[in-house]
This record gives sequence, C-alpha cells and structure tokens, in this order.
Amino acid sequence: MWKITYRVHRQKGNEPPHYETFQVEVDPEEYVLDGVEKIWASEDRSLTFRHACHHSTCGACGMRVNGVEKLTCITKIKDVVQDGGTLTVEPLRNFPVVSDLVVDLGPLYRKMAAVQAPAVHALSMTPWEGQNIAPPADIPMRSADEEYIRLPDCIECGICISACPVAATDPEYFGPAPLAAIQIQGLDKPELLALADSQEGVWRCHSAFECSAVCPSNVDPGRRIMDLRRQVSAKRLKLA
Amino acid sequence: MEPQKNDPKNLWDWFNPKGRNVGGWAFILNRIAALGLVFYLYLHLFVLGKLAQGPQVFDQFIATAKSPLYILGELLVIAAALYHGLNGVRVLLTSFNIGVPQQKQMFYTALLLSVLGTLVFAVRMFTVH
Amino acid sequence: MQSTPKTGETFWLWFTKIISGAFILFILAVHLTVNHFLAPEGLLTHTEVVAYFQNPLVVFMEAIFLFLLVLHSLLGLRSILLDLRPAEKSRRVIDIIIILFGVFVSLYGLWLLNAVRTMGS
Repeated sequence: MWKITYRVHRQKGNEPPHYETFQVEVDPEEYVLDGVEKIWASEDRSLTFRHACHHSTCGACGMRVNGVEKLTCITKIKDVVQDGGTLTVEPLRNFPVVSDLVVDLGPLYRKMAAVQAPAVHALSMTPWEGQNIAPPADIPMRSADEEYIRLPDCIECGICISACPVAATDPEYFGPAPLAAIQIQGLDKPELLALADSQEGVWRCHSAFECSAVCPSNVDPGRRIMDLRRQVSAKRLKLA
Repeated sequence: MEPQKNDPKNLWDWFNPKGRNVGGWAFILNRIAALGLVFYLYLHLFVLGKLAQGPQVFDQFIATAKSPLYILGELLVIAAALYHGLNGVRVLLTSFNIGVPQQKQMFYTALLLSVLGTLVFAVRMFTVH
Repeated sequence: MQSTPKTGETFWLWFTKIISGAFILFILAVHLTVNHFLAPEGLLTHTEVVAYFQNPLVVFMEAIFLFLLVLHSLLGLRSILLDLRPAEKSRRVIDIIIILFGVFVSLYGLWLLNAVRTMGS
C-alpha cells in the first residue's frame, strides 16, 4: 500500500475556493476516483464529487488531476503520483462549479442537444483509429444495405471543453465535443451546416489540439473539427 | 440558452503552459508571437517614416539601432516571425485535415527550423550587419 | 442558438487570414533574404533604401506585402479579441476601429513608399 496526499479543491456556495489535504492509504493499482471515494467514506462526508459507472462509460467523473483533465475512474494512481507524493484534484475548468469537485455540465448538454448529437450512429462513422472494428457476424440485418450502428464514442464528460483554451474565455463557443458531434453526422442537414459555419463554430478553433490530447474516449475531436473545417470550406468555395 | 458568465481571469489559460500538451504549446507560442509581431509591425512602419525625413534623420537613427540590444530585439522579431510563419503552415495544413495525426511532429519541425533560422540570422547580424 | 447572427468570426474572414498568411510567408522570405543577405549595406542606409525602391517590382512587392500584413495582423488581432467574448456593442466598436486603422495604415504605407521612390528621381 502507498501513503499519498490528496490535495482537494473545496468550494461550497459562494465562498471562495480553498484546498484541503487528506492522507490516504491506497493500492497504486487503484484509480484516482477510488481515493476520492475513500476520503468521502472515511474522512469527510461533505466532500461532493460525481461518479457512477467506474468504467469510463458514464462520463461523470471528469476532474483535473495535477492540472490535467482526466477521467478519474480510469486514471491509475501509480500513473499520476509516486509513493509519498501529493495528488491535486480539481473540478473541470470552463464550467460553473456547483460544489467541491462538481461542475454544472448543463452548457455542454444544451450544446449537444443543439447539434442533435446522436445516441447511436453508423459504424462507418467510428473514429479513424477504430475503423477496423468488425461488425458482429451473428447480428441479423433487416436488409442487405442496412448499416450496422453503434453508440458514439463521446461520453459527454466535458473534459475537452475544460482543456480548450478558446472555451476558457468564451463560454458560447461550441467547443470540441459538440463540433465533433456535427462531424459524425455529416453536413447534409442545413441546420448543422449553419451551426458549424456560425460564429460559435469551426472558425473559432485555434488548433491547440488539447481536446484530442485529453479525450478519454477516442473521439479525437481536434481532428474532427479540422475535418469539419475542410468540409465547410469546400462547400463555401463551391468545391463540393 | 442561458448565457454563461465570461471570466476574464481565464485569459491566463491562453498562456499557461502548465498541464498543456504539445499542441497547446504550439498555440501558446503562436499567440505570443502574434501579439509581439502585431506590436512590431506597426512600430516598424512608424519608424520607417523617418525615411521620408531624409538621409540625415534615417542614417542617424540606424546608427543608434546598431547596438546589441536593438539587434537582440530584432532577432526576437525574426524568431517570432519564423515560428509564426512555419507554425502557420502547420495550422493551414491541419485546417484542411491534412496531417492532423502528425501535428506534433510538424510543431517540432517548425520549432527546430525557427531556432536554426534565427541562429543563421544572428551570426549574420552580429558579424556582417 | 440557431438565430445567432454571423457577426463574429466568419468563413471568409478566416479564409482571408489563412491565405494572406501563406502569401506573407512567401514574401517574408524574399524580404528577409534581400535585407540581410543580398543588400550590401543590409538596406541600412538611406541611399541604399532609395536605390532599392527604384525597381518598380520592389515597390509592387512591398505594397502587396504591406497590404497583406495589415490584413492578416488586424484579422488575427480581431480573432484574439473575439476569444474574449466582447459584448455586441463593443465588438462593433472594435470592428470600426480596426477598419479605420487598417485604412489609415495602408494609405500611410503607400504614401511612404511613394515618398521613398520619388526621392531617387
């Protein structure tokens, strides 16, 4: 077992934020979220944080670990701190803090709704890295030209928005996840083209690619924004 | 949609390299270079106005501008221009989804070429003019 | 959200910024090579500068360079300011200042080019 120090961002109501430290005994193979739960269970029941599935499906436990956005349920303690070291845990940036480590992801959800982010999409729209995912052979298809569908990779955790330097100063910019959701659907719907091409759309990205660096779910939003840019440019230049 | 409050304090997030990745550094350097170059461009145009005031005014100014401090400043401008331009090529290509998976290597290349180019100009400026 | 007017960043402004940047990089290479490597005095004497600008091709290149730089720098500056999410009113003021400044600097640059060019005749 390791003895490490958790330095936790605390903030209730309108009070100014402060940091509180907790000594925690952990197995280095455990995850950052496990340590946070231990603090809650045995040290301070007033510590608030979000989590549900513990296996990177729900997207609830996004936090900043030592200043970097992480999905804490899949971030191993041994990968971010050494025995005897200190681990700083903070809420995501660029969202209003509700309490301690909990932020209001409402602005992201409203943007995802505005871009009609799909609950499922065709397998062919899977991220570039996963294009060789083989469809399960034993699933019956209704017709020969019907496409296999899958859940989108985006778990709407808000980590990409937290890492985006443009979102840092402009909350109205759509940001990585919503623009990636447009790219996955293509630009056939005129309302999606209008949103991608709007003043909150693809032209605002400054190519820092921080979103792709921190995305825990293989969405690669940076590349999708760039591809969206290529598509919209082609349309505006009447090349497509 | 209920508008979110803009926090100008976050301006620091544009420039803070802590926790940033390779693409983030590229953006930070690009923005710093951009702001520096905008300032230099208009200063440069203003100073060049001395050309219209005749040979005496201009040549006298150049004489003062040949000090090492001015040359260092000028080298900084050259470094910023080279980096901003070469990283601009990276931004242009990736903006049309060309080479996005290689964006880190492109950044390192732009940085390396900028450093080398600046060194070449430094040698030239300190030895010739 | 759908009704947001396209008053901030737009495709054409972004595209102009990208394309002008590409041309600037090209002319900058010429500009730096001439100033620091080809000109015997490094274009650091009044006489040499005036002589250099007797070539109409140089005057043309420098005029285009100036125009592209003003365009690119002001569009870029505007993008940075837009990242700060100015209120609609402030954004209009920013736009007016940027346009007036751009026109003024372009005219000043052309006047200066002509002044230097005619000093040689």
